[in-house]
Amino acid sequence: MRLKIVKLAGFFVFIFLSSVLFSFQFVRAKKYREQSDKNCLRLVPQEGCRGRILDSEGSVIADSKLSYDVMFFPQGESNFNKVLANVSGILELKLKASKSADKFVRVASSMPVTIAKNIGIKKAIALEEMKLENPGLIVLPVPVRRYPNERLACHIIGYLGEIDHWRLTKLEDYGYKTKDIVGFGGIEEKYDYYLRQEEGGLLSEVDHRGRFTRVLGFRQPVNGKDIQLTINLKLQKIAEDALSCKKGSVVVMEPYTGEILAMASYPNFSPGAFADKNASSIPVFLNDLDSPLLNRVISGAYPAGSLFKLIVATAGLETRKINPSTISICQGSMLIGKKEFNCWGTHNQQNLHLAIAHSCNVFFYRAGLILGPQIIYDYAVKFGLSKSVSFDLCYETSGFVPSPLRRKINQFSRFRRENWYDGDTANLSIGQGDVLVTPLQMACMMAVFANKGYLVRPYITKAIDGSETGVFQKKAVCLSLRESTIDEIRRGLREVVSDPDGTANVLSTLAVSVGGKTGTAQAPPGTSHAWFAGFFPFENPKYVICVFLERGGHGYYSALVAKQIIEKMLEEGLV
Amino acid sequence: MRNSRITIFIIAIIIAFIGILSIYSSTCQKDTELWQAIYKRQIIWVFLGLVLFFLVSNSDYRRLWDWTYVLYTCALFFLLLVFILGITRLGAQRWLKFVWFNFQPSELAKLILAIFLARYFSRKSVSDISLPVTKFGVFRGLILPFLFVALPAGLIVEQPDLGSGLMLVFLFIFLLYLTNVRLRNIFIFLSAFILLLPLFWHFMRDYQKQRLFVFLNPNIDPLGAGYTIVQSKIAIGSGGIFGKGWLSGTQSQLHFLPESHTDFIFATFAEEWGFLGSMILLLLYFLLIRQGFLIAQRTRDDFGRLLALGISLLLGIQISINIAMNLGFAPIVGLPLPLMSYGGSSVIVTFVALGILVSIDRRRAVF
Repeated sequence: MRLKIVKLAGFFVFIFLSSVLFSFQFVRAKKYREQSDKNCLRLVPQEGCRGRILDSEGSVIADSKLSYDVMFFPQGESNFNKVLANVSGILELKLKASKSADKFVRVASSMPVTIAKNIGIKKAIALEEMKLENPGLIVLPVPVRRYPNERLACHIIGYLGEIDHWRLTKLEDYGYKTKDIVGFGGIEEKYDYYLRQEEGGLLSEVDHRGRFTRVLGFRQPVNGKDIQLTINLKLQKIAEDALSCKKGSVVVMEPYTGEILAMASYPNFSPGAFADKNASSIPVFLNDLDSPLLNRVISGAYPAGSLFKLIVATAGLETRKINPSTISICQGSMLIGKKEFNCWGTHNQQNLHLAIAHSCNVFFYRAGLILGPQIIYDYAVKFGLSKSVSFDLCYETSGFVPSPLRRKINQFSRFRRENWYDGDTANLSIGQGDVLVTPLQMACMMAVFANKGYLVRPYITKAIDGSETGVFQKKAVCLSLRESTIDEIRRGLREVVSDPDGTANVLSTLAVSVGGKTGTAQAPPGTSHAWFAGFFPFENPKYVICVFLERGGHGYYSALVAKQIIEKMLEEGLV
Repeated sequence: MRNSRITIFIIAIIIAFIGILSIYSSTCQKDTELWQAIYKRQIIWVFLGLVLFFLVSNSDYRRLWDWTYVLYTCALFFLLLVFILGITRLGAQRWLKFVWFNFQPSELAKLILAIFLARYFSRKSVSDISLPVTKFGVFRGLILPFLFVALPAGLIVEQPDLGSGLMLVFLFIFLLYLTNVRLRNIFIFLSAFILLLPLFWHFMRDYQKQRLFVFLNPNIDPLGAGYTIVQSKIAIGSGGIFGKGWLSGTQSQLHFLPESHTDFIFATFAEEWGFLGSMILLLLYFLLIRQGFLIAQRTRDDFGRLLALGISLLLGIQISINIAMNLGFAPIVGLPLPLMSYGGSSVIVTFVALGILVSIDRRRAVF
């Protein structure tokens, strides 16, 4: 009896050990395999270069330069102090810093220890020569992001930084690890996956004391893919120079394809400051109340002002509720309901293209009231407002266009119980009130009149790794507007410049004929925003330009900036 | 399987061969030639062991009955000698130096104690073994034999070799159970033993205390006391189903696993041969011990029966503790894996023990 129990116990021990073995070698085998690899595999890493960012002609906007790190890879008996003594002469090392490194050598003797970072090429060569006498010394080339044009196009490219927790949780499945350098904002973030380099290095096997036993192989680091932009660096520079020290943005676009040729935003930042990890300069950018990191072209939403009148005009002509000969008398103001709605001047008799040229509010109040808010809203949406243009860069905002329907829906919410009044319609028809647009949306709207009826999809990437991406971009949408409508509005746009009283008359002196529209968007409290959107040459448009000055005053000032840009372009022979 | 001699011989030779392969694998990367030649020494020990196996299996085990006290005295003498002349290795004084080899008396003492206990409990050779307890009272049935066990066990623990010392106590408890001593008495003994355990704490060396802590939580000191167990687990687990292949186990080849040719040879083997290999090895051990129990069941002679049980238990306990220790389910104690681990004393004593088993099976008909 007792013998049986003992035998049974023995059998159970056998079963127990078998199941434990099963759980070790079958269920958890992978985990232990990794740990065993971690024990004996050492990688002296060598980074590949992050992909370059080029402009449309192949000039470099951002690339990588090599900086050199000095490392010590302990082999056998630690001769660390000897090597350090030999090296310190060249590196001008302080003894204190090296002492902490020494401590590190003792703790993790099998890992390469960094002695100095970011040394110049001369020192690197000098150290390379000392390699024979000092076994274990490694001079490792490390690519560092370089911005040859400093701040130029900084909002387009973005900057680099250590991955944050939020991105890590999202990107972990794609092979991102902690401490990885990833792009923030702009192209660097959007195409990080393409730009990303792959780490390579010397894979070697070490024994329990971290002594090197054999080389398992060298994995070639893979460079990231180059991204070519549609940006023209010359044009970009002109745009940024013209904008200098004025808060706002400039966008220059090809009217038929939607290629962005220049995209400037001010205040800007220096992406190199982030790459160098110079801790003192980063908070300056982050704490600045003028938000220099914001790309105002796509991420800034502002009241559209008079630019919106073009949409009202188009809507009126298309629905035949107004025609080119519709006349309105401007007496400086108009009474709608019980409230006086002002015009910025007294224009007397105005027809459509004069109203556009003089930007007469009263004409458009009337037109708007005739059309009704829903039609205006429909046409605004048709022109791509109130939704993002699905642009290449991150953090695009969609803007907003109010509509009676939305107001009604909002009535069910607790926050904004307002009815739609005629005053709202009047405000909407001159682009005030709740209307919010981005400069890029305005450029697209202007492109419709430049290319005669097509709403383009703007894009900024020309090629990834040498293969063109233009074919994958969404095609321009035909808005099927009548030709007469477009011609009528184009006539108005031309008169804005050519008419002596036109709001953008300053541009008439240019050697190229420009069509465009200014806008002065009131945004109390404070000065108005200044808009100018236009295209040139008028007959065969090659460029669409949209200048926006945040709190820049009258639209005239934007037209001035546009003039400056076009003048420079003429000088450079770009037009 | 009536012919236990052939069965035991075959199983033992396979395990010993596996052991030699693993010893070769774990030492062939070492620097000195002395280390590299270690598998040759193991081959010699196995040969010697086999010779003794056949000699012992052909002789009459009942002669041991007469020699029991002489053997017991011898064991005590050697254990005492260790204290005077023993050489110290790895912080423990366990070995006696002979001309060209070191001898570990504690291995021998285990076998001799099994013989001694078998004889003690089958003194009158009557069928009812529970008699001694009722007849001689608790003192002669329980306390006296325990003193006989405690003497060599205490000497071994003082070497220090806690594992082997405790092995003897375990053997004693199991044999008490199997000799029909009243359960009540065993419980009294066990509870007394357990109650005294905290006292032992004071006599334990620092490293032994550490090992116990590490057994409870190996992660408290992964680079210090817990290093071995962590590395052993990694070695076994990383083997996977089919193993990394002979001579390709990184844990043992690159010396991450300490004592990879002695106490942790199972981890070495499991890393290179994987789940399949280790299951086969486990099964071989299981069959070997099963043979011992079968022989015990077949034997009518009380002394022979108890001796066979004692030897089977001795091997079984040692194998289970060693493998459990490799897997992190037992504290690290210096117990070799019989037939596999490098070590002359262990190999020869194990073969002699198996020889005795066979001898018991051959003589049972004479009775």
